[in-house]
Amino acid sequence: MSRAARIVGAAEATYVRHPGPEQSTESFIAAAVAAALADAGVGHGEVDGLAVSSFSLAPDHAVDLVWKLGMTTRWVMQDPHGGASGINMLLHAVRAIEAGDAETIVLCSADRMEMEDFLRLTDNYNSVARDYLAALPTNGPNALFAFLSQRFGAAHGLEREDFACLPIAQRAWAAKNPGAAYRSPMTLADYMEAPMVTPPLCRFDCVPVVSGGDAIVVTSEERAAVLGGPSVGVRAIESIFNHDHQDGDGIHSGFGLIREELWRAAGVRPEDVGAAYVYDDYPVMALVQLDELGLVPDRDVKRFLHQALLERAWPMNTSGGQLSAGQAGAAGGMHGLVESVQQLRGRGGERQVEGLELALVSGYGMILYTHGTSHNAAVLERHG
Amino acid sequence: MSAPLTVSVCGNCDYRAYPPRLLCPRCGSSEWRPQPAEAGIVTEVTELLAGYQRRQLPSGEWLEVTEEPPRLVTVRADAGVHVVARVPAGVEVGDRVRLFAGTGRVTAVPEERP
Repeated sequence: MSRAARIVGAAEATYVRHPGPEQSTESFIAAAVAAALADAGVGHGEVDGLAVSSFSLAPDHAVDLVWKLGMTTRWVMQDPHGGASGINMLLHAVRAIEAGDAETIVLCSADRMEMEDFLRLTDNYNSVARDYLAALPTNGPNALFAFLSQRFGAAHGLEREDFACLPIAQRAWAAKNPGAAYRSPMTLADYMEAPMVTPPLCRFDCVPVVSGGDAIVVTSEERAAVLGGPSVGVRAIESIFNHDHQDGDGIHSGFGLIREELWRAAGVRPEDVGAAYVYDDYPVMALVQLDELGLVPDRDVKRFLHQALLERAWPMNTSGGQLSAGQAGAAGGMHGLVESVQQLRGRGGERQVEGLELALVSGYGMILYTHGTSHNAAVLERHG
Repeated sequence: MSAPLTVSVCGNCDYRAYPPRLLCPRCGSSEWRPQPAEAGIVTEVTELLAGYQRRQLPSGEWLEVTEEPPRLVTVRADAGVHVVARVPAGVEVGDRVRLFAGTGRVTAVPEERP
């Protein structure tokens, strides 16, 4: 038996830089889940599957959240894989619905995160961070991505003025996103004069640490038809974990290895995509994703930065991305997915990409010793 | 306390692992032997200029915010692995360095002392 899955709702619990005492990881989860169900028009009682990703759920587990959300489910999942968790949960939810293991699944990701939490999290991210990186110190992943930015810049002939195009372009999109933490326009002068953090990275190359949550609702094609309205189908999802055992240079990532199968399975070409949602923990990795997934014409990254992103505002991370909207811990892994679904369903508001039919969403994360281990990507399509 | 850096070498196929692994990525063996990684060449350099705070590290040691920003490098070790290390001021890309394993961190100093 195979029944196609459709994403029918998405929502974000507003990201805040300084959460109030009444706000917790769970309150962000509840807010995002309730809003996503409302967006989908799905009743609370219909939900029969739940997936969650959060760095701060402990001592609770996914099933404890099922209880706190007042649900009964036939399917449950908890995913700790950071920036790759959103698409990973989507993959498993889609397969569950296709197989009939569940019919209506809610995916949610949230963290209440302040700077001390973030630094403690990154120091203890895994045993390698704890035993080989935290005491250097590296101040979270900044130093590692400074190295990767130098390497990628050297390989592609990019200076700071070129990298700048990406955060500047994303900030322009954020101006139209009421939910973004940072919305004021950024100029090249702003970027070049910004305080340096870990050279060549400046403040605007690093995501703002925020608290918040994201959720989407996935159901069967049959149910989506009854609900009415536009829905989002998944044409393909591909993943790869630990492709190079950390022996590689970090700028030849796993995305290059999944590209061919992703587009073959999707049955469309990169040029057919109208918007891309790549995981922008740092500009360098957003560029690696765009380039290795086939979205950069002629693989001329420098030209793409200036012409496509800066001049033509080609739709990439149209919420402003994490670099402008903020990274709410594990919710960063679902932020791009939520924005892509909202855009595909025509709910982009002032920043709506006209006539959007196909989008690419990618996830990246779980830094080990020098770069990330976890990569995934999905091609999403509007229906109805 | 620091000692010369060592890496793990697969007893079956000579694969070099740093940090150590359980099973060899190349052949799946679980037999490892240590090998010194005494020196290498610096490939990238950065410094922590902002945003890190005094805090307690996983080891229990307190990380202090120093006046001189911590300087960090990646080193391509002669032993065939890359290493992230702390260096003193003045170490640059292309320098050869000697590698030392401390508590939770690798340090490196210029191989040719002036």
